[in-house]
Amino acid sequence: MNEVKVIKTQGLTKRFGDNLAVEDLTLDVERGEVFAFLGPNGAGKTTTVRLLTALIGPTAGRAWVNGYELGQDDMNIRRGVGILTEAPGLYERLDAVQNLTLYARLYEVEDVTGQVEKYLRLLGLWERRDEPVGGFSKGMKQKLAIARALLHEPPLLFLDEPTAALDPEAARTVRDFITQIKGTGRTIFLCTHNLDEADRLADRIGVIKQRLVQVDSPANLRRSLYGRRVVVHLVTVTEAVRAAVGGLPFVREVQQVDNTLVIGLDNPEEQNPTLVERIVGAGGAIQFVTELRHSLEDVYFALLEEGEGEVTR
Amino acid sequence: MNGAKIRAVVDKEIADARKNKMIIISMALVPVLLVALTLGTAYFMLNSGDEMDESDVGIIPAELRDMDPMHAFLMLMNDQYLFYFLIIPMMMPVYIAAYSIVGEKETKSLEPLLATPISVWELLVAKSIAAVVPSVILTWLSFIVLVIGGYFIMPEPVFLGLIRPVWIVGMALLSPLLALLSVFSGVIASSRINDPRTAQQVTGIFIVPIVALSLAVLAGKIFLSVGVVILASAVTLLIDCVVLYFAVKLFQRETILTRWK
Repeated sequence: MNEVKVIKTQGLTKRFGDNLAVEDLTLDVERGEVFAFLGPNGAGKTTTVRLLTALIGPTAGRAWVNGYELGQDDMNIRRGVGILTEAPGLYERLDAVQNLTLYARLYEVEDVTGQVEKYLRLLGLWERRDEPVGGFSKGMKQKLAIARALLHEPPLLFLDEPTAALDPEAARTVRDFITQIKGTGRTIFLCTHNLDEADRLADRIGVIKQRLVQVDSPANLRRSLYGRRVVVHLVTVTEAVRAAVGGLPFVREVQQVDNTLVIGLDNPEEQNPTLVERIVGAGGAIQFVTELRHSLEDVYFALLEEGEGEVTR
Repeated sequence: MNGAKIRAVVDKEIADARKNKMIIISMALVPVLLVALTLGTAYFMLNSGDEMDESDVGIIPAELRDMDPMHAFLMLMNDQYLFYFLIIPMMMPVYIAAYSIVGEKETKSLEPLLATPISVWELLVAKSIAAVVPSVILTWLSFIVLVIGGYFIMPEPVFLGLIRPVWIVGMALLSPLLALLSVFSGVIASSRINDPRTAQQVTGIFIVPIVALSLAVLAGKIFLSVGVVILASAVTLLIDCVVLYFAVKLFQRETILTRWK
């Protein structure tokens, strides 16, 4: 197996009785990337995470995690991954240190005390280390659960809905911490319903609805679905300006909305200077030029719609 | 088997149980009451000033017919109470085991725990040790307190009856085996229920044979001998193995995560 691929799956399928949870999943995740896994409830995201963390076995197909094959070397797979489950799953009567110490010992961390202290300080929980975690806020619990997933310094981290049910402030703290982890070169497999979060954090996204619909970077997905468009705001759109823009060979399409032109281009970086020059030459007074950016939500729903016909149950 | 991982889970279980007032009260209450009841019965019977003859005592087993009727009656009573001491290691571990598993189901802490490199065997052993050891130690401690109290309160023949080999073997052998039976059935019960108290009630079925044996002793049908206790231990060991087989079948990562309700 190629060492660059931290996760590699081939036709991975999981069935629970008559219910098909994941079908024929073929996927590669590269070392150091943040891979966002999107899909509606029941699409198979959590099942995929459980498969890739060797918590459950596949019905068909094969997978390798950190070079270890699923079903053949499950202990080594578990040693090399950290997981933040959908619910933090902490021992509420125990304090933060006791919670982390258990996991550090189970992962056979050499310096248990040092690692526990490192992550409690890093996540701003050190001052409250001796308090039962039952009294922690949701955000603090989530941070502690993230610390637990990182104690053994795994190269691959699975985060299942890390900011779900958190208030905006706590969600932001958790998101900032994920950005920090991203900087350490770890691979992050992020399951989320928060499309804005995926857009901000992910290098690539995969959309799943039992079977994988599409995988690519957010920018490439936007481009492949909608092409690229620039929006030119003018004081007034005259016939001369319209004719000048329409006459350019590289312009794919032009739409007018009040005093704004939405122009389809293949390469705005190269074509914008000529476009602007032509508009000004035709007497147009430009106020702003921006790129029209479709939200990831648009992309997500378009992909799900596109994949709908392909989904077999 | 990795001892360090088992110790880590045992330490956590004990730390968690120590912070659970419900478990501490349940664990302490029954042994304290039983010791008090056994010693109290002996004390008040001996100090009531009443005399007893054979007709008051009822059916006395042949082994006790040479004794003073009051002493024979107290020995029979002590044997009854000691049966209840054997029930302690059945009542406590099931509660601790069921609580530790059901509690983890409730707080959803089983999934991250199962995602660690611990084998399900290590986890099952750790949870069993954490439930069995404190209960058995508590039973033994209660027995020791009873023996010390009995030394001061009971007349010599009754006291000697208390420490006769049948009870020493019963406490040393039968008590841990009954505790294991209780834990394994607690694991099975936990896979289907979400309340530790229900688990306790479900596994209460195993108390029935103990109570039946105690009634047979009280009715004078059986006088407990070391042979009877060893036979009971062997039968319990056999049942332990059968129940463990089913517990292990249920205690698998995928089953726990996807089928346990």
